[in-house]
Amino acid sequence: MKRCAACEVEIEGTWATCPLCGTRTEGEGVPDPVPAVPLEFSRRRVLAMLFFASLAVIVASLAAQLLFNRGDDGVGVLRSIWLGVVALWLVVMMAVRKRRNVAKGTAYLVILLGGVSAYWDYLTGWNGWSLSYAVPATCACSIVAVLIAVRVMHTEVGEHIVYSWMTAVLGLVPVVFLALGWVRHPVVSIVCGVLSVIALAVQLASLRETRHELAKRLHL
Amino acid sequence: MTRRTWVRLDNASTMFLAARSDADPKVFRMTAEMDHDVDPGVLQQALDATFDRYPLYRAVLRRGVFWYYLQDSDLRPTVVAETQHTCAPIYQADERTLLFRVVHHRRRINLEVFHALSDGTGALWFLTDLVTEYVSLRFPDDPAVRAASGRHGAAEEGGIETVDGRRDEVRHELEADSFTRYFRTREPAAGDASPRSRGLGRFIGASTEKTLTVRGTRTPDNRTRVVELTMSAADVLALARAEGVSLTSYLTALFFQSVRAAEENADAVNTLGVSIPVNLRQLFPSTSARNFFTTVRLEHAYGRGDDDLGAVCRDLDAQLRAQTTEEALGERVRRFIRFERMIVLRIVPSPIKNLLLGLLNRASNRGLTVAISNLGNIRLPEPAASHTTRMLFHVSAVRPQFCSVSYAGRLTISFTSPFTETGHVREFARFLSARGIPVAVSAARVTEEELSAMAPTGEGESR
Repeated sequence: MKRCAACEVEIEGTWATCPLCGTRTEGEGVPDPVPAVPLEFSRRRVLAMLFFASLAVIVASLAAQLLFNRGDDGVGVLRSIWLGVVALWLVVMMAVRKRRNVAKGTAYLVILLGGVSAYWDYLTGWNGWSLSYAVPATCACSIVAVLIAVRVMHTEVGEHIVYSWMTAVLGLVPVVFLALGWVRHPVVSIVCGVLSVIALAVQLASLRETRHELAKRLHL
Repeated sequence: MTRRTWVRLDNASTMFLAARSDADPKVFRMTAEMDHDVDPGVLQQALDATFDRYPLYRAVLRRGVFWYYLQDSDLRPTVVAETQHTCAPIYQADERTLLFRVVHHRRRINLEVFHALSDGTGALWFLTDLVTEYVSLRFPDDPAVRAASGRHGAAEEGGIETVDGRRDEVRHELEADSFTRYFRTREPAAGDASPRSRGLGRFIGASTEKTLTVRGTRTPDNRTRVVELTMSAADVLALARAEGVSLTSYLTALFFQSVRAAEENADAVNTLGVSIPVNLRQLFPSTSARNFFTTVRLEHAYGRGDDDLGAVCRDLDAQLRAQTTEEALGERVRRFIRFERMIVLRIVPSPIKNLLLGLLNRASNRGLTVAISNLGNIRLPEPAASHTTRMLFHVSAVRPQFCSVSYAGRLTISFTSPFTETGHVREFARFLSARGIPVAVSAARVTEEELSAMAPTGEGESR
C-alpha cells in the first residue's frame, strides 16, 4: 500500500500524492477500491464559458451599434432597450465576478458604467447627459458605497485601500470635465467633487498603510 | 384491475424531499466489501431474490397535491457497474424510477438509497439479505452456506443505532410508517405539561449561539467528496473508554477538534453544533424498513473553560444521554408530528410546503457545523460474514459529515462533504495515527487535478 509519511497513514489505491495533505506518497500502489469517475461537468469551466460567451455578446452588441446611424433617426427606441439590456448584463456579470472584493468590484463598475454611458450618449447624438449626470452620479455613489461597505463588511485595510483611493480619485474626473467646459449642468459634478475631497481626506488618515500596500504591490 | 397500493410519505422522509439540492441529493450508500471481485451475474440473481422480499423497495415516489406518496410499481432493479460518482441523485421529479440502486465495483457491493425511502437501519437489512443471498449463490459448496440454509437475520448492538435481530420471516411491506403506529394517539389531556412548540427555533432546537459553519470550494460537478478511514475498532474504543464516554461522543469531539484545527476562522465563532440521528427502533420496536429515526443536536462552545478533547467529549456525552432518553425522544417526535399535523400545514399544497420545509431546513442548518451518524457494531449472518471483509457507509452531505460503522473488528469512518477540502479529515487521521492507531485512507477522486493525475495509468475504468 502507498503511504503518506506526513500523515502517517496507509493509502489505498494509486494516489501519487496524499489525498489528505498533498504530500508525495511512498510505496507501491494497490488497486483502488473505488473507481475514478470522470467529471460530468466542471463548474469552473461552465462559469468561464458563460463569462466569455457573455462578454462576446456584450462586445458584439456594443460594436453593432456603430452600424446604425447616430442620433434618434437610427434604430430609435430599440437602441435604448438594446443598450439597456447589454449594460445591465455587463453590470451583473462584473458584480458577480468581483463579488469577493466589494471595493474592487465597485471601482470596476464605475469605469464600466462611465464608459458605457459615454458611448451611449455618443451613439444617441451626444446630448451631454453622460458627462453632466451619469458619470458624476456613478462616481459619487461609488465613493459613498465603498466608504460604507468596507466598514460594514469589516474589510481589511489592505484589501480595499487601493480601490478606496481609486474611487476617491475617480471622483475628481467629473471636476476635470467641468474645468474643461464639457459639462452643461454642473450640479452633480460639484457634489461629486466635494464627496471626492472628503473621501481623500479620509484616505489620508490611513496614509501609512497605503504606502505599505503600494510598496508591496509595486515591488520589483 | 387491481389498484396499486400506496402510502403517504412519513414526516421524516418529507423533509428529505424539501432539503435535497444539487450538492446534496439526500442519497446514502451502504457498502459491503467482499474478499473477491464481485460477480455481477450472481449479484443480479441475488438482487432479484432479495427484491421480492422487500415490497417497500418496489415503491416509486409520486407527488400528490398535499403530500408525497409512495406507490407500488412493476419496475425491476438491475445491478450496474460504478460509472457514476457516489450518491448520484436517484429521485428526479416526474421521473418514475426505483428509489434505490445496487452498484458494484471490484470487491464492493454498494446499495444506494434515496433517504425518503428508508433509513440506514432499513437499508442495512436489505444489504444484509442481498449479501447473504449473493454469497449463498456465489459459493454454493461453502460449508457456511450449507449450515445457514436460507435463514436470514442481521443483529447488531452498541453505538446509538441498534437493530434488534427478530426479523426472520419478515416481509418489508409498503406499510404505514412507524411514526404513525407509535405516535398516532393523542396525548392524554390530563397534566398537559408538555411544552408546545413556540416558533421555529423551538421546533428545530436551534442554538441561540452563532454556530461555526464550514465553507469551502464546491466540487466541480456537485459530487460528494468521500474519504474513508479504516482502523481497528478496539483501538479507538479503548481511547473512548479511557475518557469514559461512548464511541459516538468521542468521535464527535474529535471531529469538532479536527474541524477547528482545519478551519481558518475557527476562532471567530466558538460554538460548534452537530446533528446526530437516533434510531427509534431501539425504543419503539419496529420491523418497518421505512425511515424511523429522529435527530438530536449537540453543541460545544469553545473558549469558556476546559476545551481539551476529554472535557469536550464528556460534555457531548452528557448532552447525548440527556437527549436520548425515552421521554426526551418521545417528546421530540411528538412535537414533530404535532407540527406536521397542524391543520394549516396540512392544507398547504405540497410545493409551498416544500418551500416552507426547505426554509426550516435552512434555518436548522445554520445551527450545525457538522453531522455524524454511527451505525454501531454490525454482525452479518453466515454465510455473508465469512466472505465480507469490510462494511462502510456514507451519505451525501450539505456540510462536513462522517458515518461510522464497525464490522469484524474494523471501524470505518467515511467522511463526506460538498467541498473539495479534506483538512478536517487530515487532522482527524493524524490525531489517530499519532496515538499509534494504524489508519488506512481510501478516497474517491473529485477535483480535476486528482482525476487528471489518474489518466496516464489508464486505470480509471474497470469492467
